[in-house]
Amino acid sequence: MARVTDRSSYTRRRMLAGTLGLSLLGGFAALRYGRRFTARAGDAASPDADSLLSGGTADKADAVETDPVSRRLTLKHAATHYNNAYEFGWDKTDPVRRSGSFRLEPWAVTFDGLCRRPGTFDVDDLMGMPFSQLEERVYDFRCVEAWSMVIPYNGRPLRELIEAVEPMTSARYVAFTSVLRPEEMPGQASPFSSLDWPYVEALTIEEAVHPLSFATFGVYGDQNLPQNGMPFRITVPWKYGFKSAKFIVRITFTEERPAATWHLEAPGEYGWYSNVYPSISHPRWSQATERRIWGEGDIERIPSRPYNGYGDHVAHLYPGSKQQYR
Amino acid sequence: MKRALIHAALASPAVLLALAWQYGQLGVDPEKTLIWETGIWTFNLLILVVLMPRIARWADWPAVIGCRRAVGLWAFAYATTHLGFFVIFLLGWDMARLGSEIVDRPYILVGFNAWLVLVLMAATSTRGWVRRLGKRWKRLHGLIYAALALAAVHYLLMIRSDWGWPVAYASIALLLVGLRVLKRRRFSPATADRAA
Repeated sequence: MARVTDRSSYTRRRMLAGTLGLSLLGGFAALRYGRRFTARAGDAASPDADSLLSGGTADKADAVETDPVSRRLTLKHAATHYNNAYEFGWDKTDPVRRSGSFRLEPWAVTFDGLCRRPGTFDVDDLMGMPFSQLEERVYDFRCVEAWSMVIPYNGRPLRELIEAVEPMTSARYVAFTSVLRPEEMPGQASPFSSLDWPYVEALTIEEAVHPLSFATFGVYGDQNLPQNGMPFRITVPWKYGFKSAKFIVRITFTEERPAATWHLEAPGEYGWYSNVYPSISHPRWSQATERRIWGEGDIERIPSRPYNGYGDHVAHLYPGSKQQYR
Repeated sequence: MKRALIHAALASPAVLLALAWQYGQLGVDPEKTLIWETGIWTFNLLILVVLMPRIARWADWPAVIGCRRAVGLWAFAYATTHLGFFVIFLLGWDMARLGSEIVDRPYILVGFNAWLVLVLMAATSTRGWVRRLGKRWKRLHGLIYAALALAAVHYLLMIRSDWGWPVAYASIALLLVGLRVLKRRRFSPATADRAA
């Protein structure tokens, strides 16, 4: 009698185990692949053809030799669907998928600290001209994770914004503070992240006023790209990407060296300067080579260059051992 | 027939990945996706291998044990693919660099050791080896717990700021390895003596 009961309960258990196992597997697979399979790599590629052609405006920027290797651009779809913006999440697709409720306007930026004309300015005032008339610069973007893209940025030299607020001679550093909006940026609200929000980054004043440092209001002629750090970010092409702060709402001039988010998180991994030095290996990634991402699965392995190829312009800022500017 | 079904199920993540790769649906950086996914599936199957005796006991379903070798070998296959993709995509076939990466980077050293354990187990998984090793075979294949623990450390070392998934996986691994250690202590001669 007892044996019979056992048999049927075992059968039920087997059924349960089998179903549970299969549904776990299925659920896991659906969670992992569902969203990937719905987003085709080529989806948004075609409408961008015109912005690809607009690379022609780049000769305006020839004075600073914007792309020393080639003028081929990474497809806009790749550059806007593969981003590091931990404000929205750690996965490269989080910024595009989870930025839907992010409000791009109104957007004001406060300049304060050691400057003679502090104040808060609307992003349109910072542009100083219609968006369409901003300079387009093609820069190599090099992530510390050893991948890179070639991206056309729309903006103006950061120097122009800084000069307008007249930094004092005592100002040795410029700190950039990103926006704090956990209700619109799920990564900031995540209980599973150890990063301190808001994101902060900083440059020396010499770096900030260098002609290559670019106040950026759009990429590929498009302003509406929170995943790329809009409405206002900076682009500092000779440093690893995380130095180029996104969603900036505050620019502060200081005498003391300001904190920087990733440097705070792991000083042994992310240096304060974080210039691109292929010879200095990161604890996680060799920096000797990089994977150049062109889009639609086209990835090319190329050697990395000191200062990401901009050494002729910036190497003089860093006398002595490179180790101190890692 | 049953066997074919089991192999088909275990191969399905690889088939799906291959198809998605073929059709350009692995996102902007398919190389990275392939490395991550093969790693995750190695981990999933390692957990499954360790769970199987428990499932067999719980459901009084000895046939589950009969599939264990298949699952283990597939875990090895995913691990080997994972390592292979790493060598191809991240190192560009530079085998000299594989050596220096293993020495320089703890997470690669740990992952590589997990793979070596799986190599050893896969190589001794045949009937012949089971016979030849006799009692020692069982002890040798207890190394699956070492592989699982190493995989957990490998994943934990990847944490940069977001620890959700790695910690979830590592907790499962810790639980399973912990239960095993406890059980062994309970049945070890030393504790048996003390109990007597």
